[in-house]
Amino acid sequence: MYRGREGQWAFYLHRISGIAIILFLALHVTEISSSMFGPKWFNALLKFEENPIFGLGLVAVAALVLYHALNGLRIILMDFTSWGVRLQRQLWYAVWVVYVVLGFPMLFIMLRHVFVGGE
Amino acid sequence: MAFRARRLEEAKRLSTSNLELAWWVFMRVSGVMLVFLVLGHLYTRAVLFNFHHDLTYDVVARNMSTVTWKFYNWLLLFLSILHGTNGLRYIIDDYLPSPRARVWVKVIVYTLVFLVVVFGTISLWAWNYTPVR
Repeated sequence: MYRGREGQWAFYLHRISGIAIILFLALHVTEISSSMFGPKWFNALLKFEENPIFGLGLVAVAALVLYHALNGLRIILMDFTSWGVRLQRQLWYAVWVVYVVLGFPMLFIMLRHVFVGGE
Repeated sequence: MAFRARRLEEAKRLSTSNLELAWWVFMRVSGVMLVFLVLGHLYTRAVLFNFHHDLTYDVVARNMSTVTWKFYNWLLLFLSILHGTNGLRYIIDDYLPSPRARVWVKVIVYTLVFLVVVFGTISLWAWNYTPVR
């Protein structure tokens, strides 16, 4: 159906971002849930995560989540409307327009949190 | 066996069982819900709040002890884990040709997912925190 063009990229990106997101999700749930072991353990863990690498990792995951969410809405439009499949390529470009509009401010704010913020 | 359908009618025709069709519908329904839940989570936790510098034990403990956030997080946990694990199942079925390897990979993946869900749920419902000060 896609023959290696935009739709194929949309499909692969959706799968790759999906795999990355579930791996992050498993780590994230484990990490946050471990707060029940008490402040001594959890604050030590957070101290370890103060390395900007972790902050940048979160920015990267947020970027993948935003793509997966928007392309997921594109898939739903393709599945449940009469015109979605016909316009799938245009819809993919629309995904990227919304991605930049929402993603740019998010990227700016999140990078500020990592490198500038903190009392 | 997972199937690729582009329309609901096609999904009904291609699905090998009612369960498989239910999963197909679930991916769409949970997907729409997750767009709002996850982007809401990102907005409150990563945009409004400085996730990198201001996250402490107290912040998490206070959040987890609020009934509203307990439900929000629990719904988020369940929908995202089910959506993600079913997505992994599609990928395993697509790329692992050997039935033996499939079974083993699935057993490992489902076990890990189960442990994460149990751990997360225990943590969520165990919280009953009152700040010291």
